[in-house]
Amino acid sequence: MKIPRFSRKTLCIPYAVFLIFFVIVPMLVIVFYAFTDKSMHISFDNFIRFFSDPTKLSTIVYSLVIALITTVVCLLIAYPVAYILARSTLKKKYVILMLFVLPMWINFVLRVNAIRELFNLLSTLKGLEWLASANYFKTVFGMVYDFLPFMILPLYTTMLKIDRSLYEASADLGASGVTTFLRVTVPLSMPGIMSGITMVFLPSMTNYVVSDMLGNAKVTIIGKFIYEYFGSDWHMGSMVALVLLIVVFVSTWFSGGFKSEENVRGTNL
Amino acid sequence: MKRFLSVACAAVLLLPALSMFGGCGAKSADVVLRVYNWEEYIDEGGKGAFLYDELHLTEENENGEKVPVESDIVDGDYLDWYRQTMGVELDREGPAILDDFCLWYEKTYGETIRVEYSTFGTNEDMYNEIVLGNEYDLLCPSDYMIMKLAAEGRLEKFDESFFDPTDPLNYYVLNVSPFIAEKFETNAGLEIRTDLDGNEIYWKDYAAGYMWGTTGFVYNPEHVSAEQLEELGWEAFTYPAFKSRITAKDNVRDTYFAALGVTYQDRLRALDPGASDYIEELTRIFNATDNQTISEVEPTLMDIKRNIYSFETDTGKADMVNGKIWLNYAWSGDAVYALDLAESGEDEDGNETGSAKLNFYVPEAGSNLFFDGWVMPKGANKKAAQAFVNFLSMPQNAMRNSYYIGYTSVISGEESEMLAYADYLYGGEEETEENYYDLSYFFGTEAGIYAEEEQRLSRQLYAQFPTPDVIAHCAVMDYYDAEASVRINELWSRVKAETLDAWAIAVICVTFVVIVLFVLFVKFGNKIDFFRKKPKKGYSLVKQERLK
Repeated sequence: MKIPRFSRKTLCIPYAVFLIFFVIVPMLVIVFYAFTDKSMHISFDNFIRFFSDPTKLSTIVYSLVIALITTVVCLLIAYPVAYILARSTLKKKYVILMLFVLPMWINFVLRVNAIRELFNLLSTLKGLEWLASANYFKTVFGMVYDFLPFMILPLYTTMLKIDRSLYEASADLGASGVTTFLRVTVPLSMPGIMSGITMVFLPSMTNYVVSDMLGNAKVTIIGKFIYEYFGSDWHMGSMVALVLLIVVFVSTWFSGGFKSEENVRGTNL
Repeated sequence: MKRFLSVACAAVLLLPALSMFGGCGAKSADVVLRVYNWEEYIDEGGKGAFLYDELHLTEENENGEKVPVESDIVDGDYLDWYRQTMGVELDREGPAILDDFCLWYEKTYGETIRVEYSTFGTNEDMYNEIVLGNEYDLLCPSDYMIMKLAAEGRLEKFDESFFDPTDPLNYYVLNVSPFIAEKFETNAGLEIRTDLDGNEIYWKDYAAGYMWGTTGFVYNPEHVSAEQLEELGWEAFTYPAFKSRITAKDNVRDTYFAALGVTYQDRLRALDPGASDYIEELTRIFNATDNQTISEVEPTLMDIKRNIYSFETDTGKADMVNGKIWLNYAWSGDAVYALDLAESGEDEDGNETGSAKLNFYVPEAGSNLFFDGWVMPKGANKKAAQAFVNFLSMPQNAMRNSYYIGYTSVISGEESEMLAYADYLYGGEEETEENYYDLSYFFGTEAGIYAEEEQRLSRQLYAQFPTPDVIAHCAVMDYYDAEASVRINELWSRVKAETLDAWAIAVICVTFVVIVLFVLFVKFGNKIDFFRKKPKKGYSLVKQERLK
């Protein structure tokens, strides 16, 4: 009996199977549906309808803006936290880090519901009534709350890896604290910033559960469109999904593009 | 990158997530019945179910102690019936109806059966599952979806023997309300459609009713008076005093229906209810999807969006009970649930809410009448499926389901047994002419109960068994054909999303392109000779590639 030869290539098979069935085939299905009509004939009708519809284009813009604000706020909160934690010599810093990451272990819908109830409670207080109809504010708040751990973790791990002697060298050469931060810490934490941005920006464009529950379903982002179209018109739904895919691709490529620029680190140092 | 693509794909493909939970019966059963029903749309037994609650009734005696009392409706007769039907004694923990079905089926047909029970959240989710080729024996779509499935040739007809009233096992035919039977025979005044072969489709052939109801407003009488609501009717949606105190449904069908009501309220009120074509006219107005109607309804929908607190599908009940909103556009069954919840003074988890009681109101100008019915998709096990429908149609079981889910069963009972149920739950002490609540339309014979004014005008009784007057003003929803569906979806996305002005979109697109070009420039700029600085004197320009 011939024993099948086990080579390193064999190890790739599970991944290749996964890739074909869960990445390539679904993509092709989406592309197929996007460019066909109800009778399964090739048609560019959905394409034209999408790009001639100001509502859909506006929704993409709104989703981008919401995602952008979420990302910036996350970054502004997460960066100092990660910086302090990574540089501190606190014995209990893992506990603090844990506290930031802990919400990730609790069911997401439960957390969003909790925030909803919290806002409900707050909006009954005097002077805070505006909260009840501040749908965009609440949506962004919910997204920030939800995605903050995804920003803190990559930042923390990259900053942890920065060699302390670099800070000392910077101080020896007469750089002030601010200069050291801007010219050593920030450039060296760039990979963390980039992966944090991708982890936050992309999901916050499509996470319509947050916008539905906290925005009273009056805030519509592109993910909700996809969901609704799949209730009645798969072809248009696929077209929206495809356009989103392209937007995601472009934005990932942007961040990836910056990251692969090897001399970013070198030139700034 | 690949990960993001796969996540994106998976997210798209897994959108209509399903919740599954088991039915009953042994693994090795002779027959398997696959039922696909709405979430929380059947008696699941235990605490809060009809049998448990009736078997655990208590009342305070003169010493203030709670003592058990016997139920008037789950009495000795009921227990006898249960023993004979299921072949076992009724246990005090309250069995789920699916378990009872398995017992009954085995006892009646001598075969063991297993029910695979799964649930869906919207008609559209269910439709997608069927189109994708998932196989079931019994589905529970709403009226318009029954039409759509039948028109597309996806349904089996019920057997002729199912409608034979001489067979004592045909509980559905024997017990169904004549009012419902008539609606199912005439498609409730909708235009008669044809299937793929050109045969006329009647609901009766394809569907057996399960639950029915109307839509209207649950309102908080502390802030909204009945007179005010009567005067406003549908215009409550756009009434400035209710700003951020009213909700609409987060689905296009119900909210579009409501917007039609707001837009054409005057026309609806001007119709003569005595006219022979009144129902046809009403149905036509509430099912109009032509371009002109859409362009007239769109500004109304925008006004509604500005005025409401939220679009919701199930948060409205809780928001009503805790007093956050004053009006909630609701299906009658949900309304009964909200009314019960507010009355009990406890929320779903048993915490005190201290809320006021709530009322229900159906706009007089005309509203929606809906039905959910059992249908069998092609290839279904018809015998078991029809047996299941018959089992649920026993009045004793219809009570259990109706009590558990809050909607009204289509069953009236051969001897009007459901009248006793309505009387038991909502009947009042005083038997005066004034207190008489006429339900003859539903039971087909002279029938009615005596109830207090409140119950008759605005509470659970009114919601579960609407007055003949309400029924006379209700229209059934038709399904949207392919073109109408596109128009309505576009309308809905315009309503739900914000639309920027054309110039704003243009500016943003241009900015986007500029950013892309800038990034390209930063990334590849030094590789393109055109962008590179001219070399100093004495140096020559070298192609980038050659350096590597």
